Amino acid sequence: MRTVPKLIMILHIDMDAFFASIEQAINPKLKGKPLIVGTRNNKLYTVVCAASYEAKALGISSGMPSADAFRICPHLEFVAAQQSKYIWTSEQILNMLRNYGYELNYASIDEFQIDIADTNDPETLAKEIQKQIYANFKITASIGIARNCLLAKLASKLNKPNGIVILTPHNLEQVLAITPVKKLCGIGQKTEVLMQDLGVKTCLDLYHKTPGFLEQNLGKYGLNLNLGLHSIESLRTTCEEEKPKSVGHSYSLPRASENPGLIRAWIRLLSEMVGQRLRQQNLTSQTVHLWLSGPQSTGLNSQKTYSQATNDGHEIYARCLRILAKISLRMPRIRALGVTCSNLSQSSYLPLFREEKRRERLIKAVDSINTRQGEGAIYPAITILTRKIT
Amino acid sequence: MKSSGFNPKARWDRHIPQTDDDCPDVGLNQKIEVLAWFKQAKIFPRGFLWKNKYYKIKQITYNWQERQGQELINYFSVDTGNNLYQISFNNTSFGWRIDKVIA
Repeated sequence: MRTVPKLIMILHIDMDAFFASIEQAINPKLKGKPLIVGTRNNKLYTVVCAASYEAKALGISSGMPSADAFRICPHLEFVAAQQSKYIWTSEQILNMLRNYGYELNYASIDEFQIDIADTNDPETLAKEIQKQIYANFKITASIGIARNCLLAKLASKLNKPNGIVILTPHNLEQVLAITPVKKLCGIGQKTEVLMQDLGVKTCLDLYHKTPGFLEQNLGKYGLNLNLGLHSIESLRTTCEEEKPKSVGHSYSLPRASENPGLIRAWIRLLSEMVGQRLRQQNLTSQTVHLWLSGPQSTGLNSQKTYSQATNDGHEIYARCLRILAKISLRMPRIRALGVTCSNLSQSSYLPLFREEKRRERLIKAVDSINTRQGEGAIYPAITILTRKIT
Repeated sequence: MKSSGFNPKARWDRHIPQTDDDCPDVGLNQKIEVLAWFKQAKIFPRGFLWKNKYYKIKQITYNWQERQGQELINYFSVDTGNNLYQISFNNTSFGWRIDKVIA
């Protein structure tokens, strides 16, 4: 059996087409067929939130309007997303991984990282994890192993689906030389163009650039990329540094809208969700950021910082409306929108005035009802508009 | 062992329940009677009675749970040979429902 030196530390698990694979496990007749999972029931007015490998092979990808996906493949299979089953499966996988006893990071709903510094045979461990995931959930995962999180995540993408890629000091440069730089996490279309202009086409080109060069051309982001590629990480160090810097929610509408009532209703809902998450973490925020994008514009972004921190969904909404008032004169049709709160601190403010105290009691009562009866059991009336496709 | 990071609890679909008028032909949400085994803290539905007709379950293709407030709901996708259904068991009310025809 081949053993790998202990220098390799991070094992990154990336579930293959996670939501679509679960739907194929639920309905085995969908296996081997191009399938999309949409955010809403109405298959022509939704957004693709996951695509099976068969659909991906046709050029269908997440984030695409479902109508476009159906234009590419009229016989596409469609399933409306039901988040509870994806969340449950993800949590079950997390629990299963906990049993291995390693330091573990829950990176996203379909990504997990394990610090395996003490393992002599990571390949056997990776195979065992893949086997266990398939036996329990009938879905597959791709695994990347490397000396840090960025490289391990990259490795997990290189042999999908159901593959294992190990980046050792011996093969690292060889693999990076044939990997386009856009495969690296965090490099989107714009950065890729910028990289091409700098003569960086492969990950190896980036790997060989000096920190000074990257900082000069890409700023702090470039420096972080260099650090990410060259560091040797332990999850103990990376996790301890993790504190939320912002809390946000976004949503893509089934179709572009210029109905101000509908847009305000969505901003209200997203503000409420952000407020609820802030309260769950006992955080308050001073800065509210609102972004809107549509077919005619790539994005309208604006943020404002206030002296008074808040975690009240209504107050976040009111702050968003003030931002919206500034940009609404040039507001075109909106397809996607998001609300983010940053500049976070631990909640310590004690309300002094009667209205503030009343408001705090109201929020506590609403949170208590939602905890008991389920999230969304009680909600601001305006958000009812978000349930209808208009 | 420590685990950290992502919190999957933030969901928009709990705030925006899917309405049946989006997909009227498959949403059922009706009470049913179910014959099930409860074994080692797991539930295995074997068949269900719906509209006076008994459906024998040939295979449970998937199962999952969801907490709705204080209630825990167990969901099952079950294959009866001709159709695939989603049924659910409420751990608090001890009631079974047929949620929808999957295919």
